Amino acid sequence: MTRFGRRAESLPDLMADAAGAALAAARREATEAIVVASMNPEEFIGEGNFASYVATHLGFAHVPAIRVETATSSGAAAIFSGFTAIAAGMFRSVLVVGGERMTHVSTPRASEIIGRSIDPYERSYGATMPALAALVTRILMARRGVGLREISEVAVKNHRNAARNPYAHFRAPVTVAEVMESRIVADPLRLYHCCPISDGAAALVLSADRTAVRIAGIGQGTDTLAVRYREDLTTFAATQSAAKAAFSMAGMGPERVDFAEVHDAFSPFELIALEDLGLLRPGTAGSATLAGETALDGRLPVNPSGGLKARGHPLAATGIAQVVELFWQLTGQADGRQLEGTVGLAHSIGGLATNNFVTILAAER
Amino acid sequence: MLEQIEASCCPRCGMLVAPKVRFCPYHPVEMQPTTVPGVGEILSFTTLYAPPQGFRSPLHIAIVELAGGARFVCHGEATKGIRIGSRVSVEAVDAVYYFAHLGALDRARLFWRRAGARGERVSAIVRSWTKGVWKGRSRDTHA
Repeated sequence: MTRFGRRAESLPDLMADAAGAALAAARREATEAIVVASMNPEEFIGEGNFASYVATHLGFAHVPAIRVETATSSGAAAIFSGFTAIAAGMFRSVLVVGGERMTHVSTPRASEIIGRSIDPYERSYGATMPALAALVTRILMARRGVGLREISEVAVKNHRNAARNPYAHFRAPVTVAEVMESRIVADPLRLYHCCPISDGAAALVLSADRTAVRIAGIGQGTDTLAVRYREDLTTFAATQSAAKAAFSMAGMGPERVDFAEVHDAFSPFELIALEDLGLLRPGTAGSATLAGETALDGRLPVNPSGGLKARGHPLAATGIAQVVELFWQLTGQADGRQLEGTVGLAHSIGGLATNNFVTILAAER
Repeated sequence: MLEQIEASCCPRCGMLVAPKVRFCPYHPVEMQPTTVPGVGEILSFTTLYAPPQGFRSPLHIAIVELAGGARFVCHGEATKGIRIGSRVSVEAVDAVYYFAHLGALDRARLFWRRAGARGERVSAIVRSWTKGVWKGRSRDTHA
C-alpha cells in the first residue's frame, strides 16, 4: 500500500505503486484477473470506465478487470469478489487494488460526494455522514451508558498506534483533552472523533496456492439504506450478519481472534463494532477501551495500524489496507507495532452500515 | 391543526414508513398508502455546525418516532429543551417538515382535536380572539 495522507500523485499512479508493491511481495509479475475498488472516481477525479483505466495504466490491458463499489467498504467488497472468483475456480490469482484521491477537493465538496451514499430523503434534510453518526452516537450515549470520555479514548489510542505506522496519515499523538475540546462537527461528535479526508491506495494478491496467510472466512452483511427504517440504532445488523457468515465459514468463534482492524470512521463506531462482532460482551466496549484492553499491549489490540481515524480513510483503499495490516502482523512485518497472534479480523462499513464486510485471516502453521 | 403525514404500510409485515415509498424495505411487495398524525417522540437529534450547501448553520436534525411506529427525519428551529423521549409535533412549512416542542397551546390543540368539531369551533374562536388582541396591542405600540 502507499502512505496515506495528502498526496501529490494521481489516483492511477497511487494504485500502480500499491499494486506494484503487492505483486513484488507476492513474487509475481502477472495476475490472471484484477478487481479494482474506487468509491467515486467519476466525481472525485472525473474518470469513468475505471477498471480498464487502471488495468491499462498498470500494463495489464489484456487482463480481465472489473470494478466493484459498495460505498466506503468498496475495498473489502473487492477482496470479497476476488475471493469468490478464486473459490469458484475461475482464476488461480487475482490482484485486488483500491484507492481514492480526495484532498484536492474542498471539505464540503468531499462531504457531499461521500454523502451520495445516504438515503435521498434523509440527504434532502441535510443529513451528512457525521450527522447520521451523531444521531447514532446520541442514542448510544443515552441507552448504552457510553460517555464522551470512552469515545475520545478510542481516538487517542488509534493516534498513538498510528505514530508507529509509517503508512499513516497522522503520526502525532493527541491527548484526551485535545479530542474533547476540538470543535463540534455534529453534536455530540467533535472533529477528533471523525476520520480525516485522505489520498492513498492499497493492494493485495489473492492466490489459490498455499501461502503464509489464508482467508479463513469472509462474510457480507447488509441493511436498509435509510437509517430511519432500522429498529435499533445502537447496533449495526450489517456487521452482525457479516460476522456470523465469516465466523461460520472459518469454523471458529470470536474468542479465537487475536487482534482486529475495525471501521472507526467515527470513534463511537469502534465501540459498536467490537460488540457487534462478538469480540467484547455487550455494554463492555467503553470500559474495556478505558482499561487499555484494546491498546497495542492489551488483551485484544484493535486498530494497530491507527484505524481510519489516524491511518486515514481514502474510502476504497481502506478495506484493503486493513487486510494488508493483518497480513503484515501475521507474517512479522509490522515493524514498531508487531503483535503476537495467528488470527486477525478486519471489519469494513459501507455507507451508514448498509453494506458491511468481515474478513478473518489466519496464519498457516 | 395537527399535520397528517403521508405514509406507507406493508401488507405483509405491517411496517409503517414515512414519507411514502413504493415497496417495503424488507419485502418485495407494493406498500399501501396511509397517513399518520404528525406527533411523536424524539428518538435522537443533532446539530450540524458545518451543514451541506443550501442549509443554514446551525442545522438541527432529528429522528422522530411518530404515532404508529413510523420514524421520520425532520428539521427543527432549536434543540433547546429537547431530549431523547421529548414529545414533539411535526409540521410542514413549504413542504419541509419541522419538529417543535409540544407547548401548552399544542397540547390544548391535541385535546380539542379529540373533542371533535365542537373543539375545532372553539379553537377557531380562541385563535381569532388572540389575533385581535395581538393586532390591537401592536397598533398601540406603533402609534
